[in-house]
Amino acid sequence: MILGFLTIAQAAGETANDTVGIVGGTGARAIIFGLVTGIAFGAILQRVGASSYGMIVNMLRLKDLTIMKFFFLAVGAGSLGIYLVDAVGTAHIGIAPLYLLGITAGGLIFGVGWALSGYCPGTSLVAMGEGKVDAAFTVLGGLAGALTLALTWDWIKPALVDPLNYGPKNLPDVLGVKPLLVATVLTAVIVIFVMYLDRLGKSHKPTTGETRGTTASS
Amino acid sequence: MDLSNEQALSRKRLNWVAGGILLGLLNTFAVATYGALGASRNYVVVDGFIARLLGSDISTANSYLSQMPSQADWLLMVGLGMIVGGFLAALATGTLNMRSVPRLWISRFGDSKPKRFASAFAGGFLLLLGARVAGGCTSGHVLSGVAQLSIAGFLFGAAIFASGIPTAKLLYRKKES
Repeated sequence: MILGFLTIAQAAGETANDTVGIVGGTGARAIIFGLVTGIAFGAILQRVGASSYGMIVNMLRLKDLTIMKFFFLAVGAGSLGIYLVDAVGTAHIGIAPLYLLGITAGGLIFGVGWALSGYCPGTSLVAMGEGKVDAAFTVLGGLAGALTLALTWDWIKPALVDPLNYGPKNLPDVLGVKPLLVATVLTAVIVIFVMYLDRLGKSHKPTTGETRGTTASS
Repeated sequence: MDLSNEQALSRKRLNWVAGGILLGLLNTFAVATYGALGASRNYVVVDGFIARLLGSDISTANSYLSQMPSQADWLLMVGLGMIVGGFLAALATGTLNMRSVPRLWISRFGDSKPKRFASAFAGGFLLLLGARVAGGCTSGHVLSGVAQLSIAGFLFGAAIFASGIPTAKLLYRKKES
């Protein structure tokens, strides 16, 4: 499957030379760094259990918040790290445009798919690599969903993306505060929040019969 | 797989503190080298590749697919790496898992493969439809977006939990308690 994927990528690459939509470059160094970064990303998600249907669904049922704590902490640590790098050198920061309708509607649709599949677009790839057969169906469904969006883009864009579109907006600009300061405060808030969630989970565990469900690893 | 094996497997996991810090460091490394981590865009790129291989012209004629790269870039390799990384990590720790239906799903909906595959496919469809309408997913909008203090990321993060939590609770409603 992986070999097939590479072959497709190479075959497609041979037929085109344009640079539209490229993220991070197409040179040999970019290709190797991307692959290594992806392997590390996939390995971390697998080792923590984020590619487990049971862990994701039990998080959304608010029965086991392990993945929520992991993910929020990663956001906080990443924020501090990114803006430390930004403060001393070059960081490849890219802020997404803020369009209220499409992001809200898209997020709400995404949440339903998240609870139904028990995967994300990224963790389904990891779970497929682990051998989980249902995750391969989520990836196929994802390809179909992405294609459906592409085929309906000319209707969706004027309805959900163009109205109430404020362009790229980030918190430090809106607040008029230095990014590193905002990142530090966000990280501190996240650390306090995940510690609170952790304490909440520990005080709950012995009193409920749900602990069995929390060990669901598949 | 019996329960004691399941518990042994989950005990072998990396704890969330170490995992969270490692992923934060990895995201910092990514942004310092090439760009922020993301997953959902690659689905559109692969759709374009498949269309091209099938001889369809929609990868250039379609207004959305034509905005996508027609060759492998850094971000596409991240996606490929995630599959490899999941495989290698599972192989190294003896946690390769070729199951079709998750245990928690069986406890609620039974062990029918077609039923689970249909839900996994439909879920994937909604995931990528929603992510592409919003312009990113859990990786791009939240892990990377919120870390970069993007307001779109905060909004997307709130929206996915706002529908994900009630949907999961509804799917697993009643049944003993």
